[in-house]
Amino acid sequence: MNVAVNAPGPLTRLAPALPGLPGGAPWDEWRGCALARLQALGLPSPRDEAWKYTNLRLLERRELAPAPPRPVDAGALEALVPALDGARLVLVDGRVAPGLTAGVLPAGLRVTPLATAMATLAPEALAGGFPLPGDDVDQRVRLLNSALLTDGLHLQVDGELAAPLHLIHASTGGGAHPRVIVDLAPHARLTLVEHRVPLGEAEGFAAPATEIRLQPGACLEHVRVQLASAREIVLDDVQVQVDRDARYVQLGYAFGGQLARAETRVTLAAPGAHAELHGLFMVDGSRQLDNRTLMTHAAPRTTSVQVFRGVASGRARGVYDGKIVVAPGAAKSESSQSSRNLLLSPQAEIDSRPQLEILTDDVKCAHGATTGQLDEDMLFYLLSRGIDRATARGLLTFAFAEDVIAKLAIPTLRRSLEERVVRGLPDAELIREFV
Amino acid sequence: MTDTIRRGDLLLQVEGLRANVEGKKILDGLDLEVRAGEVHAIMGPNGSGKSTLSQVLAGREDYTVVGGRVTFRGRDLLAMPAEERAREGLFLGFQYPVEIPGVNNVYLLKAALNASRKHRGQPEVDAFEFLALVRDKMKLMQMDEAFLNRGVNEGFSGGEKKRNEILQMAVLEPTLALLDETDSGLDIDALKVVANGVNSLRRDDRAVVLVTHYQRLLDHVVPDRVHVLAGGRIIRSGDRTLALELEKRGYDWVRQEAAA
Repeated sequence: MNVAVNAPGPLTRLAPALPGLPGGAPWDEWRGCALARLQALGLPSPRDEAWKYTNLRLLERRELAPAPPRPVDAGALEALVPALDGARLVLVDGRVAPGLTAGVLPAGLRVTPLATAMATLAPEALAGGFPLPGDDVDQRVRLLNSALLTDGLHLQVDGELAAPLHLIHASTGGGAHPRVIVDLAPHARLTLVEHRVPLGEAEGFAAPATEIRLQPGACLEHVRVQLASAREIVLDDVQVQVDRDARYVQLGYAFGGQLARAETRVTLAAPGAHAELHGLFMVDGSRQLDNRTLMTHAAPRTTSVQVFRGVASGRARGVYDGKIVVAPGAAKSESSQSSRNLLLSPQAEIDSRPQLEILTDDVKCAHGATTGQLDEDMLFYLLSRGIDRATARGLLTFAFAEDVIAKLAIPTLRRSLEERVVRGLPDAELIREFV
Repeated sequence: MTDTIRRGDLLLQVEGLRANVEGKKILDGLDLEVRAGEVHAIMGPNGSGKSTLSQVLAGREDYTVVGGRVTFRGRDLLAMPAEERAREGLFLGFQYPVEIPGVNNVYLLKAALNASRKHRGQPEVDAFEFLALVRDKMKLMQMDEAFLNRGVNEGFSGGEKKRNEILQMAVLEPTLALLDETDSGLDIDALKVVANGVNSLRRDDRAVVLVTHYQRLLDHVVPDRVHVLAGGRIIRSGDRTLALELEKRGYDWVRQEAAA
């Protein structure tokens, strides 16, 4: 209950961890301030509307403090992620690992490791300033990330980058609290591919925060692949600001984690701004995967699309909790939201809650949600062709997931995700032939 | 299952079949015998139970069989799950083939063929042999090869879906093909292509059951026997002239005579 969440709680154990973190006195003070506020507010509980489906009591016995730096072998990493064209940056337990960087950084991309920059720059002077988030319950993960901020990256893009930039979050266990800031100059273009992978099966806790700012006409394709271990808790927080005629496309694929929540808040700040969130989550065992979105149409003629597909088996639980807000004055905006979910066992559960808050006239909004089992007509069609039941079920599950995977333009990446989906299905060998 | 079938061997025997869907009586004591080498047409007004018959025989579980017996080549058909019926050589051509985006057309066909071959103790076909076979059959069905790499029936027009059903049949070479209103929604050119596909399958060791509302398919695929299905049972059987008479006079007279 609430008592258990507030005190003595994991937050009270954190103070000793703070002094060892990078940045000197101004940052110590900044983090201390974030921690004090968070301790006063307490961690979110299911009694908070925004956390209705997510119970953080698992955090009670979890080590939240940042893990000490640990060396990682590049070979171990390469076995976990596909090789992509373009440069690769790696964070290990939320800390930049320069030794694992690969490829040549393209012209037009400036990469600033935050811990290094924090040594000379105060919070208000780094990457356009590090204001502490508000007390809103939605922002508490960001407050936690601030309190424990260890390192991270500031990526500045000016120009059109042809090759994707690959950013890998590897975890060896313990806490990981990086900040990633992505700034795209006017008309800049980038494909950013993020992979979250475990190195081992240790318990872990990550509260990474990402800040994306797209200047007019900029375009970011943001691919996120979450393959955390079954013993990790991940509370992922992404905030996106989309300026005039800029375009943000997120393709999210979540598979791992004991409890993993991905929250994306997008503000379409000027006319012509466009955002798409495409998400696939597949969860088994007794794990939980949450997706939370807040799409704010703050200006006229802004458009957004959300398509989420969820698959739960065993006693697993999935959540899609998505809200669209069309602010006063955001006339002629268009927004759509679709959530389709597949339950592969009677004990599995997916809660889908698409919500619309329209505060202006003359907008087009559509939303829909379905949760059910495999389509009986499709299943019978495959059986009637002599395909056995387990394979038929596997094929249809694959087909359901493929809908979102097919959005990926990078073939290597598409294949690696297809393989990840297939591996979890019965008759994987046979189904592999279909892919 | 490799024992030879000869013309005239009994393939399908349906005796007093009764089936319900959601408690509603649909088939009510249906009898039917189909022998190797024969083409049967089952005709009847809408709602007479035509589609139910096909689906029950193919093993759809939404229907409850409440009475009767069905044997296929002497074996109890109703005891087999749908996938086993298919592997035993029963093929259902659907009235409304479902679209399955994400499941590749050609791989489904290959998996289906290999499932049957494995069941019969035959070696699986490799990708090369298989592609040659499919290309050959696609030519017969006048289908573009682009269809191969699409999802099953994905974005196909009504006519393309029906052609795809017949293509599957041509590749799988079933012992008994049940074609459920395969002619509906086809223009005359597509109807000829489909009829051609069906005729190419006619052999002494196979049989075809055409379930249809209209007689026009029967101009191109000439049946040996024609049955009238009404009220869940076969109320009259005859040769192809019965189909022509039905075309001219409708179904009411048969029903009246059967009731008399």
